[in-house]
Amino acid sequence: MAKDMKIKAKEKNGVVNVKVMFTSLMADAEEAEKKKIKPEFITYIVGKSNDKVVFEATTSGFMSENPLMKFSFTGAKKGDELEFTITDNHGKTETGSKKIK
Amino acid sequence: MERRNFLSMGVVAAAAILMPTTGLMATNFRETKAKAWDAEKSPEAIKAMFGDGELIPTDKIKMTAPKLAENGGSIPIRLKSDLDIETIAFFQDANPRSATVVFSVPEGQKVNYSFRVKMRQTAYVTVVAKTKDGKLHTLNKEIDVSIGGCGG
Repeated sequence: MAKDMKIKAKEKNGVVNVKVMFTSLMADAEEAEKKKIKPEFITYIVGKSNDKVVFEATTSGFMSENPLMKFSFTGAKKGDELEFTITDNHGKTETGSKKIK
Repeated sequence: MERRNFLSMGVVAAAAILMPTTGLMATNFRETKAKAWDAEKSPEAIKAMFGDGELIPTDKIKMTAPKLAENGGSIPIRLKSDLDIETIAFFQDANPRSATVVFSVPEGQKVNYSFRVKMRQTAYVTVVAKTKDGKLHTLNKEIDVSIGGCGG
């Protein structure tokens, strides 16, 4: 399971640009068999700011290892908290948050 | 005996009422569209994910992807659009299963996503977006993956 996530969020002219990296092997069934490990990948990512969902993605094991996502959203300002929750294929969840710069 | 039956019926009814309230906040497509994640080819996956709707080719969604990818393990993809999109999904034909990532676009936000995918071989990638009016827009592109990283 992921150990940490790196979040970078910057607000400019009302648009918040976010770069976020999650730590995961992102190994689907076939790849895990080859490497002789257990399948492990993130299945669901949700990002929230001010109790509003700003990012939502359902993923499969065909994303690259340690998935890096970039996106932008509106409706938040400097100092607001941005929180991500990920769920992996074993049902484990992890949360990380960062203040928007 | 009758009383016992009546009570158990009550429990079932209560469970049925409680069920839909879980996960109301957001849609996890792995739970709601479980079938789509097992489909091997893009057309089947798209059908399972979005239904039988007509796919309209569009140029209003911009996909930035390399024509030739040297490293099949990490191919950067960027999706951008000004349309009012509800759901946007990315499929490829290179891996054992087609569905790769599905974004549900929150109310009032525009599509501007960058991410990286794995592809085992040269194949077509397909993007399908469902707009607020229920129409399905699509575009696809072939990405060359050079195995071994020779770049030829």
